[in-house]
Amino acid sequence: MSARYGMVIDLDRCTGCGACMMACAAENNVPSLPQASARTGITPMLVRKVSNGAEGSDRREAFIPILCMHCENETPCVRVCPQQAVEVDKETGIVMQMPQRCLGCRYCMTACPYHARYFNWWDPAWPKGMEQSLNPGVAVRMRGVVEKCNLCHARLHSAMEKAAAAGKREIDMADYVPACVEACPTAAIHFGNLADANDPIAQEAHSPDAFRLLARLGTQPKVCYKSRQAWVKALAEPNAGPNVEVKHV
Amino acid sequence: MKVTRRDLFVWGAGAAAGLVFTPVPWKLLDDVSIWSQNWPWIPQPTRGPIEFKHTFCSLCPQRCGLKVKLAGGWPVGVAGVRANPMTRGALCPLAFGAHQLNWHPQRLRTVRHKGSTASWGEARATFAKACSEGPVAVIDGQPGRATSSILASFAERRKGSYLVALSPETRALLPYESWSGVPASSLGYDLGNAGTIVSFGAPLLDGWGIPGRFTRLWAERAAGMNDPQLRLIQIEDSFSHTAARAWRWIHVRAGSDSALAAGLAQVLIEEHLVPAGGPVPSLVLSDAAAQTGLSENSIRELARTMLDQAPVLAIASDENPGVAALNVVLGAIGSRGGIVCRSKHAEKYVPFDDAIRKARTVLIDSSVPWDFQPQIDAEIFRFAAWDIGSSKSDWLLPAPGFLEDLTDVPTPPTSAVEIFAVAQRLVTPAIDVESAAQFLGSIDSSLPSPEKIIHQRCADLFHQRAGIVYEREPTPVAKFESVQKLEAELWKGAMWVGDPSSLGGLRCELKEWPTAAVAKPSQNWATEWNAPVLPPLATKLFRESSLREAPDRRIA
Repeated sequence: MSARYGMVIDLDRCTGCGACMMACAAENNVPSLPQASARTGITPMLVRKVSNGAEGSDRREAFIPILCMHCENETPCVRVCPQQAVEVDKETGIVMQMPQRCLGCRYCMTACPYHARYFNWWDPAWPKGMEQSLNPGVAVRMRGVVEKCNLCHARLHSAMEKAAAAGKREIDMADYVPACVEACPTAAIHFGNLADANDPIAQEAHSPDAFRLLARLGTQPKVCYKSRQAWVKALAEPNAGPNVEVKHV
Repeated sequence: MKVTRRDLFVWGAGAAAGLVFTPVPWKLLDDVSIWSQNWPWIPQPTRGPIEFKHTFCSLCPQRCGLKVKLAGGWPVGVAGVRANPMTRGALCPLAFGAHQLNWHPQRLRTVRHKGSTASWGEARATFAKACSEGPVAVIDGQPGRATSSILASFAERRKGSYLVALSPETRALLPYESWSGVPASSLGYDLGNAGTIVSFGAPLLDGWGIPGRFTRLWAERAAGMNDPQLRLIQIEDSFSHTAARAWRWIHVRAGSDSALAAGLAQVLIEEHLVPAGGPVPSLVLSDAAAQTGLSENSIRELARTMLDQAPVLAIASDENPGVAALNVVLGAIGSRGGIVCRSKHAEKYVPFDDAIRKARTVLIDSSVPWDFQPQIDAEIFRFAAWDIGSSKSDWLLPAPGFLEDLTDVPTPPTSAVEIFAVAQRLVTPAIDVESAAQFLGSIDSSLPSPEKIIHQRCADLFHQRAGIVYEREPTPVAKFESVQKLEAELWKGAMWVGDPSSLGGLRCELKEWPTAAVAKPSQNWATEWNAPVLPPLATKLFRESSLREAPDRRIA
């Protein structure tokens, strides 16, 4: 049976330290170009700070890591790509981006309801000598293509190679841990196979505290969130709750 | 059939129009695009055998355990070590990009004297001459290392001073040192057994102490719980990351921590919530309320709430005798979940006094944070791996960068137990660098080498037969057959952890309530970081997200 890799992110545990962003960028050879801004930079994992809009001691804040949601159903980016540069891998459920096929039309960026896709505006560059610190498992992407989180596909390949070398068909989940999951100091990001009923995250994803962003769109994201706080859950459908005002800070 | 000029035109026009409907122009366009996207000068990752090595971060006194991924001998990735009992796999965000720091554009590549390039020989000759002309002060930022012993020995032999630039966490423990006589370097916080932690602006969830030690504890015992096992009360003038995730955030005016501590102590003593005895703060509750911006009732309620879930521990962000005195009132000294003494053999840090002002020469180790700039007339020799150009030092001497130096790992500030580990050198520096220990060793050849001191410390641990060595599996020291085996394990990245702190033997005599401390801004991993620069990825991500601002004094 094919896997459906996904995440459950416990927002009550997230302290907004940014370790997941750093680990993701380092693992995936994201260049640190000085000309990039909040609009033009590449942040496959981006932690956003949100508040409940109240002031004083009633004020509450939460941090929400936003990454590609790996939508299972009617995947918006897949449907609009004229180059077939995006596809949902049947074996893993990972929404794959192939930069070699991408022509840079950015239609997928417009279609993505989560704003989790980024365009490479410039040739990748690093200060002199710093290319020696790049991760050899991940190719550097060229200018003019769109990129996003691919659940650290290079790590999946390593796990598959290790399983194959041991004569196994299935990978050991301990060998496949995305960089952000590994880096989280509070263990807020849980990763696993949503299609495996015995996997703890498959049960977590169906707990009463779990929710998906913009679930009403019916895209069935494989990245779920979890919180015990009502105002945080209301973030999932920003226009659905008449009494909740969410302020992004 | 005659081919006319008109036929040629028609054929040409038809061919041109038809070409548009073939793949040829589009394929050419595509190939040109791909070719122009893949210039030969676009960087490609290093190729080579992949290996993983365990070591320890050298960029702040907390010394987190690192699992470094190397490709062809170059570090290409950093992750935490799950088996490390202190960090449990957690790191501060900066560590994940630290392997890029050695190629930072601000890397100090040559010896510099008053802004001009100089040589190591000139620096050595000038330093040796200056030492013979007057007193020398040697300043260390991470005491307790083998290098620290060398720095201290050199200062002692030259009848100079060995001084330590303390971290804010250690400075917060200084009041207990003056009241108990136990050196601050041997005191720590027993966070694991605390029921309520009252933080006076300390960024507990934002890199305070060992990143990961408290955050893991908080995640397991408090995160998202209405009635947590560990209550974190954050008293702060701003809504910081720690305040955002605390069980309660008490919004007070800036600089009123001492007043609130005095007010809380007043209530605790007045309402007999703590055993009687000891001095009473002279500040009346109404004055405390006026200074903090809280109501008297709020302070009373806070005092009662604190005691709902004992043991209670107050933590200051920096040296604050008022907060320390509150701990004395709460009975949090030498008790479970409070301030504990982890070692009886620690050295007392020498405070900054006239010694530095009388010095003819000052040598600053690379472990001292960049913003430490002594305002004195002495000739300053500063070791640094990075230079942002704002140093007032006469001499800037290039020091080993990230993972470029062999060092041992002493117990970090705030830890409740003693630790020891060895951080091996994983990278050969591409430029001519020297550590302060090597520099002093070349001037005074009778000084021991760091390797010799580390070997001696390993031997001492072996002969004590106490504590546990954590590698993949914890192994008691008593089970090691020889010093060599213990040393080999430590060189591979294992960590020795001493026996749990004894609760007795620490007693603070408080004769009168201390005067209010001068408020200092709270510091976290970004400010405690001793490099003057951040990893370029951190600068980028802080700039492109609303998560936090890069500290003003640091640049990309």
